[in-house]
Amino acid sequence: MEVHMTYATQEIWTWWLAIYLYFGGLGAATLAVTFLTDMYLKPHRHLVIWGAGAGVVLLALGSLMLFSHLLDKMAVIHVLNPLIIFIKPDAWIAWGTQFIIWMMVWGVLYALPDVRETQFAKKTPLLKTLIHLSFVIRVAQWVQRHHKTVGWLAVVNGVGVAVYTGLLLQSFPAVALWDNPAVPLLFTVSAFSTAMAFLLLLMYTLITDRADDNIRMLYERIDLVLIAAELVILFSLYQYLKNGPESAMRSLELLWNDYGWLIGFIGFGLIVPFFLELKSVVRGWATRVPIIAASVMVLAGGYLLRHYFMYAGVYAYPW
Amino acid sequence: MSHYAMVIDLNTCVGCNACMAACAMENQTPVWDQHKWRTYVHDKEIGVGSDVQRRFFPRLCNHCGNPPCMTVCPTGATHKKANGIVMVDQGLCMGCQACAMACPYHARITVTHADIKEGKEFYGSDYRRTRPSVDKCSFCDHRVEQGLKPACVETCVGSSRMFGDLDDPNDPVAQMVASGAARPLMPHIGTRPNVYYIDDIRWRG
Repeated sequence: MEVHMTYATQEIWTWWLAIYLYFGGLGAATLAVTFLTDMYLKPHRHLVIWGAGAGVVLLALGSLMLFSHLLDKMAVIHVLNPLIIFIKPDAWIAWGTQFIIWMMVWGVLYALPDVRETQFAKKTPLLKTLIHLSFVIRVAQWVQRHHKTVGWLAVVNGVGVAVYTGLLLQSFPAVALWDNPAVPLLFTVSAFSTAMAFLLLLMYTLITDRADDNIRMLYERIDLVLIAAELVILFSLYQYLKNGPESAMRSLELLWNDYGWLIGFIGFGLIVPFFLELKSVVRGWATRVPIIAASVMVLAGGYLLRHYFMYAGVYAYPW
Repeated sequence: MSHYAMVIDLNTCVGCNACMAACAMENQTPVWDQHKWRTYVHDKEIGVGSDVQRRFFPRLCNHCGNPPCMTVCPTGATHKKANGIVMVDQGLCMGCQACAMACPYHARITVTHADIKEGKEFYGSDYRRTRPSVDKCSFCDHRVEQGLKPACVETCVGSSRMFGDLDDPNDPVAQMVASGAARPLMPHIGTRPNVYYIDDIRWRG
């Protein structure tokens, strides 16, 4: 069919969807990393509470972004039904919603025994009453008996959320930038990298116990590998877009001619933090400032990735 | 079982937009918003210098055999009937617009609470819509069930739009598709559309 093509970006899912994807990936990966640290590296009450708290709060804020843009908010009840994954197993939003819900449920349960031990919970009026309810005590005891099972249920759902954010975009076949296997990989790696940055920021500012230095070092090393992996995936994506269909080449032109993407995301969101963390791993820094700066840059870069991805998707219309 | 499809002959579309008007009135679409048409006729000037010609290009939902809008729909609101028509259940649709993002043919339109309020005033007591949703062409399913053609086909003055059954070998639409004279848009995406176009002869050289 000989046609005259029109190329257009979309204005349906914009910055607010980028926030949904960003908070979803960041919150879920933070929860997964802190729970795995607590289960296998070092039992750490503060990390668990921060991980579960960040997971729940960020996922709630992200979900609120999507919810507030629904045309019929009452109809959301259909995706809250756990059976939706059997009714619509091919829809990633159905899976994503369930991953988010169950990650929150298992996350809160996993953190419950630790929350009950904090001074904050013991002193806060409403919370104080709540944690002493016999039902809550029994649930906390049950969680302690099934510590790792509950932890893994939260982790699996958390990883599911992080992967889902990329799979969602990959399911739109009209846009070459999104409809390729690099996207779920890129979004998953980015989610865990931003989680590492968030935790490093936390552990260099609020949880500053020197006994946790081995955790800090491990997080820095993991983040270094994740940033490197992200750069490799981006390079592969660049090669695909460069030689891909017209939609892909137009997306590439939009992205790689934009300073926000090139300097903001790739420069300050990946390359600069990579070298700051590399120096930390190889020779160390005299102060904590470079790692704090690197963490802030990785966190900002994580949002920029999703923001530019949403705006640079190009549709090819045959009219 | 029938397998409905539409053929659009670009040679005979005169750009009168009667299809758009007929569709809008038949399906009570939000005509007060110029971006919310179930079917739309693009008017494009092609060529350079004095050799410029107008081309009218009608578009609508392609009622894909493998509809990405249905795959991504998390509630099952977008569904496919056995006769190939892709429908939207406005009671199930939460309006996440994933379908609009997935559609390669720009065929989904949003109907909001504000549109429903406006619709009640514009269309009066006959207005059928009750819930917001991401709307689309239904091939006038309610007319097809009564043995009628879709409103846009019925009203097309140049007989540019033809509607038929691909499972009926004697149907002219099935024959045009089988012969290759009518071809789908962007088949490489894998959507297997059921709207076919007969190319404008002027552009074949």
